[in-house]
Amino acid sequence: MSQGADHHHGRNANSPEIRTEALEDLLVEKGLIDRARVDALIERFEHDLGPMIGARLVAKSWLEPEFREKLLDDADQVLKDEQIQGAEIEHVEIKVNEPGIHNVVVCTLCSCYPWALLGLPPSWYKSPEYRSRVVREPRKVLEEMGMSLDPDTEIRVWDSSSETRFLVLPERPAGTEELDLEALTQLVTRDSMIGVAEVKA
Amino acid sequence: MSTNHRVHDIGGTEGWGAVPYDPNEAVFHNDWERRVLGLLFQILPHTAKRPGEFRHTLERLASEDYFCADGYYGRWRAGMEVLLHEYGHVDRAELDNRLGVPQGTSAGYRSANVAAVNAETLPPDRITPTPEHRTVRRDLKEPPQFQIGDRVVAPGNDEAGHTRLPEYVRGVTGTVVKIHPAEVLPDSTAHNHGDRPQHVLCVAYQANDLWGEDAEQDVVINVDLYESYVELDEGAS
Repeated sequence: MSQGADHHHGRNANSPEIRTEALEDLLVEKGLIDRARVDALIERFEHDLGPMIGARLVAKSWLEPEFREKLLDDADQVLKDEQIQGAEIEHVEIKVNEPGIHNVVVCTLCSCYPWALLGLPPSWYKSPEYRSRVVREPRKVLEEMGMSLDPDTEIRVWDSSSETRFLVLPERPAGTEELDLEALTQLVTRDSMIGVAEVKA
Repeated sequence: MSTNHRVHDIGGTEGWGAVPYDPNEAVFHNDWERRVLGLLFQILPHTAKRPGEFRHTLERLASEDYFCADGYYGRWRAGMEVLLHEYGHVDRAELDNRLGVPQGTSAGYRSANVAAVNAETLPPDRITPTPEHRTVRRDLKEPPQFQIGDRVVAPGNDEAGHTRLPEYVRGVTGTVVKIHPAEVLPDSTAHNHGDRPQHVLCVAYQANDLWGEDAEQDVVINVDLYESYVELDEGAS
């Protein structure tokens, strides 16, 4: 590992790669971090967390009306029952899309996102373009992102300004009546649970 | 119309282009982004431990570091450099010297200091049972001061400290549509003034009220506001 500036000869010494690597080396030398724990944490975020956790809740709601009712009424209790734990889900609310109502989630002040249900947020969700515009012109933003809503559909934007986190329950697409939980879970995308895409059969 | 005075408080601001949308985007684009994530979670316990403190660190970054070319993880790394310097773990000059780049490259040279927030401007603290695990939620025995259906307005203030009141709703009347579980007040915890827990109101704003007559039709913007942010709009019907 790096032992000072010489190591970086020939590479841009202030590129994000070099700067991050040098910072990590410094922190290891100072005994502030443990490299193996950094690796383990990355592993967990990248492989154990992801939108499939939220997708399963959505698919199960489509199949089981009783489960859906419980999830809408008290998502925190359902997450506890399902043993879903982790970061950024201290209090979760489900917002249901239905004919005439479309929900979309943002965090205008930073990038709050239900990590334990959807994994890490994509860059576009964290971009200033999305954060600034989706509260002012959601219909236009959604259209640009490929989602044309009926002009009569009411749009409900949820700005994640407290520690409550929102998950959109998208509409079940037609033609999926024969599918089981596993197959339905596969259809549900991350972006449909943020509210910028619909689920396609 | 709102005048944005904080680098991060960009809801409703104009002049931005298309959302850089890629439906198949991976969560990391480069390996260094992974490292930043992993490092941050080990650095926070040595630095910004209080709710809101890390967010406020990012809010204090210079605009060029907040909107830096290295994206979101670049912003996190800049925030880490600031915290490590402020908490005395890694001087802001140390990383620059090690890299052989001009001193002053670190974001720590450009970030604003933590503002001195006068505790008297905050709502009084209230005693709640100590939670069994780390959480921002608190069991408040006092009931919420507002009810669903109340018309409320958040006047805001021009204090330089941390707040979760977005500029774009300041002075605009909305309707309480839901009451969330009580939480510690980040405006207080970020500045080490105690929990001061508050009920949290979900307030619905009509797009026309926020953006004027040319706003898109049939749009409602819901914002979660700590109870102490708002007052009853007596004149509202």
